[in-house]
Amino acid sequence: MRSNWIIFALAASAMAQTPGRKLDFPVDSPVLAVSSDWSETKATPRGGAYVLDVHAVLSLRNASQKRIRGVTLSVLAQEVTPGGKGSVSVPSLDVAPGESFPLRIDLPLLCPLGAGGPMVEVKLDGVLFDDLTFYGSDRLHSRRTMTVWELEARRDRKYFKNLLETAGAEGLQKEVLTGLDRQREHPSAGVQMVRGRSTNTDPEREVQFAFLQMPDSPVEPTAGSARIAGNEARAPHIRVQNRSDRPVKHLELGWIVKDQQGREFLAASIPSDVNLAPGKSGAVTQDTALKFSERTQIDGMTGFVASAEYADGSYWIPTRGELNDPRLRNIVAPSPEEQRLLQLYRKKGLNGLIEELKKF
Amino acid sequence: MTRHVNQTGLALYASGDVSLWQRASIGLHVRQCERCRERVNQFRNDAKALRVVSAEIPEGVDWARLSAEMTANIRVGLEAGECVAPRTHRKSWRIPPIWRPAAMAAGVMALLAGAWWLNMPAQDAKSLNRVLQALTHGPNAALDDRGPVIEASPEGIELRKDGGALGVAQDSAQLLTVSVSTQGSASAHYVDQDTGQVTITSVYAQ
Repeated sequence: MRSNWIIFALAASAMAQTPGRKLDFPVDSPVLAVSSDWSETKATPRGGAYVLDVHAVLSLRNASQKRIRGVTLSVLAQEVTPGGKGSVSVPSLDVAPGESFPLRIDLPLLCPLGAGGPMVEVKLDGVLFDDLTFYGSDRLHSRRTMTVWELEARRDRKYFKNLLETAGAEGLQKEVLTGLDRQREHPSAGVQMVRGRSTNTDPEREVQFAFLQMPDSPVEPTAGSARIAGNEARAPHIRVQNRSDRPVKHLELGWIVKDQQGREFLAASIPSDVNLAPGKSGAVTQDTALKFSERTQIDGMTGFVASAEYADGSYWIPTRGELNDPRLRNIVAPSPEEQRLLQLYRKKGLNGLIEELKKF
Repeated sequence: MTRHVNQTGLALYASGDVSLWQRASIGLHVRQCERCRERVNQFRNDAKALRVVSAEIPEGVDWARLSAEMTANIRVGLEAGECVAPRTHRKSWRIPPIWRPAAMAAGVMALLAGAWWLNMPAQDAKSLNRVLQALTHGPNAALDDRGPVIEASPEGIELRKDGGALGVAQDSAQLLTVSVSTQGSASAHYVDQDTGQVTITSVYAQ
C-alpha cells in the first residue's frame, strides 16, 4: 500500500513536468491547423533534471488562393531557455489551395528541477508562396531564408532538367550519384557557439582569411581576420565591397576552417546587415566565439559569399558553376531541394526523379 | 539374592560390552539366577546365529552394484547435508565505538547535501558546475558561463541556457547536415526517407 503511494507520488511529480502547449495562428493565416496530436509527449526524471520529449504531429491546410512553397513555425519554451526559440521549416513544398500537408515537431527539452512546468508555444512565423510573396510576422527572418531556399530550388531543378536534356538520363543519373556520394561524405564537425565577449585566457593569434572569388557575386570580400586560440575562433572581421550597380542590404558569408591535418569544413555562416551602396566598402563584424572539438587545432580559414539581398528585395545566390569549385563542392551542403531530389532518386529511381522534375 | 538385571544389562553383558565392575556384579547375579542365565544364553545364541547369517551373501545379490549404489547414496547424503547445514556467517564489519558519532554526522551531512542539491536554484547549480569544471579542466573549459550556448553536432542541434536545454528534431527522419550562424542560431536538415520531404529545424539564442 505504501509503495503504491510512492509510485503515485513519483508519477504525479513526472506528470507535473509535462509541458503545456499552445498553437497560435493568426485569424487571417493562410495556413490553418486542421488537427494536432501531442499524445506521444513524455517526461522522464534524470538526475537533477527532467528530460521532456515533446512530440507533435500537425496537419495544416492551405487556406489561401496561392500555392505554398514553404512554411516556418516558431517554437518557444520560455521556462526552459528564457529568450531562446526554436523553429521548424518545411521548404520545397508545392501545396495547392485547399490541400493539407503534415508537419511533425519533436522537441527534446532538458528542464532543471524547480524550474516549473514548461509551456511550449507554436506560432506561425511565415508562409512563402510560389510568386515569392510572403505572409507572417517574420520574427525569425524566415522570409529571407525561405526565399533563398526557393531560389536555390529553382536553380537546382533547372540544372537537373538542363542536364536531362543535354546529357540524357544517363548524364542525370551520373550527376545524382555524384551528389549522393558528396552528401554521404559531407564533412561536419561538432561546434559550440556563444555570442558576446570571450573570457578565454589562452594566448590568441590573429589569422587572416583567404577568400574564394565568385565572379558573379555583387559583393567581394577584400580582407579579413579572426582571433584564434587553440580550438576556438572568435570575433571574425571581414571587409567587403559592393561591386554591383545596386545597393546591397544583407549579406551572408561562408566561414571555412582548416584543421592541422588539412581537413576543411564549413564552420559557420556569417550573416550581416550591411547596407552597401554601389561601389562602397564596409565591414562585417561578429562578436561570436566558435569552439570545436578538443582535437581540432585551427590552421587556416577561408571565406566566400553565400548569398546577398539587394535593397529592392531581390537576391543573388551562387550559380551551380560557382558551387562546382573543387574546394566548395565537398564542403557546402546541397540545397534542401537537391537533398529532396536525391532522396526521391533513392526511393523511386531515375524514372521517379524525372517525373518529379517534369512537375515544375 | 539380588534383584533381576534388566534386559539391556543382560544383552550388554552377553556381548561383553559392560564395564569391569558391572561385569563382576552381573556375572555374580547370573550365576545365582537361572532365569537371567537363560536369557544371557539366548542373547549369545542369537548373536552367534546373526553372525553366521550376515557372513553369507544372499542369492541374486550383485555385490558390485550394491556397493556402487551405497557409495552413491552416501555422496547424495553428504551433499544434502551440506545444503541444510547452518550458514556460516561472515564476521560483521563494525565501526569502532570511537568513530560512531563521526559516521552518524557524515550520514546527516550527506542527507542535507542531497536535499540542498535537489532544491538548489538553477543559477547556483550552474555556478557550482562552473567551479567544478574549472577545477577539473582549467578556466577555459566551458562556454556556458559566457551566455547561451548553441551546439551543432552530427547528432543534432541544441540551445543551452541557465541549466535548461532546448532541441528541435525530426525523430522520424534522417539527419543530413547541421550548420551554425554567427548571429546566434543553428540549423539541422532532415529528410523523410519515404516522401523525400526536407524539414529544417533551428534553435536561436536571442
